[in-house]
Amino acid sequence: MTLLGICEWLESTPLASVIQESAYGFPIIVAVHLFGLTLSVGTLLWVDLRLLGVTLRHLRVSEVYRGLAPWFFAGFAMMLVTGATLFTAFATLAYGNVFFRVKMASIALAGANAALLHFVTQRRSAEWDDAARPPFGVRAAGLISIMLWVTVMLAGRMMSYTMYSAAPTP
Amino acid sequence: MSAILSWIEATRVATSVAESAALTAWLSAAHVVGFALVTGAALVANLRGLGALFPRAQASDVLVAANRAMLLGLALSAATGAPLFAARAADAGANGIFQLKMLLLLGAATFQFAIVGGHGSVERRSARASRVVSVVALALWLGLALAAFAFLLLE
Repeated sequence: MTLLGICEWLESTPLASVIQESAYGFPIIVAVHLFGLTLSVGTLLWVDLRLLGVTLRHLRVSEVYRGLAPWFFAGFAMMLVTGATLFTAFATLAYGNVFFRVKMASIALAGANAALLHFVTQRRSAEWDDAARPPFGVRAAGLISIMLWVTVMLAGRMMSYTMYSAAPTP
Repeated sequence: MSAILSWIEATRVATSVAESAALTAWLSAAHVVGFALVTGAALVANLRGLGALFPRAQASDVLVAANRAMLLGLALSAATGAPLFAARAADAGANGIFQLKMLLLLGAATFQFAIVGGHGSVERRSARASRVVSVVALALWLGLALAAFAFLLLE
């Protein structure tokens, strides 16, 4: 089965029908998706700014991360569940939309950036955890994360202006 | 009031935005980025006030950093929100949800900067008062978020 075939199948599921036909279901799911986005990116931004050495420099990097992790993970969970639901209902429209592809690529790259920081750069975190200005590699990870998540937000918003024709327009 | 709103809609900025779907889309996208900045800052500042975040840090230091980020977010939101509003001033101005959004924005921002405040305010406040003030601030920002999303999706 091709990717497009999978998208067509998803759109034919009962869940997809419920979302497509519901007057208020679609706006409510999108609202929760946006809320999850602002919660996750809004709090993750503070971790990235600390990695960059721009703010909260008197706190350890690990402390900033541990304090905010529950909030940005909660936001990500909201986005994942609502995003998957929305994708199910409009899979073929999303498949053909360039901004959807940019958004998904940016999310994948942001995940790879986070994994690189966690599994490689963080091995020597004891050397820079309380540094007001962390080493170049750490600062680069913070900047790349900010750029990618801003791209996700921009692409996501652009999707709603370019994707839906027959569907309710947010 | 309707004459003023109609005049705003007829300005060059307003007509440029109204006639360009691409410009509207990019302004709206940047507006959401500004809102994320404000939301993150409000959460950081008021969770610290509740004692639920960065308990080892000086509350005043966290508030100063959060206020700075919030001002940047509000500036971005205002810079992008103003032309978006101008393009449909008459409709938006008459919309109850938009009016509620603006009222909550004014209330939340005023409360955050005037009552929650900065360095001096925190030092003078008891722990209990800090928690009460932070809960009220969070409720106002949450109300703003709900009104903003409702306007975005239902109008």
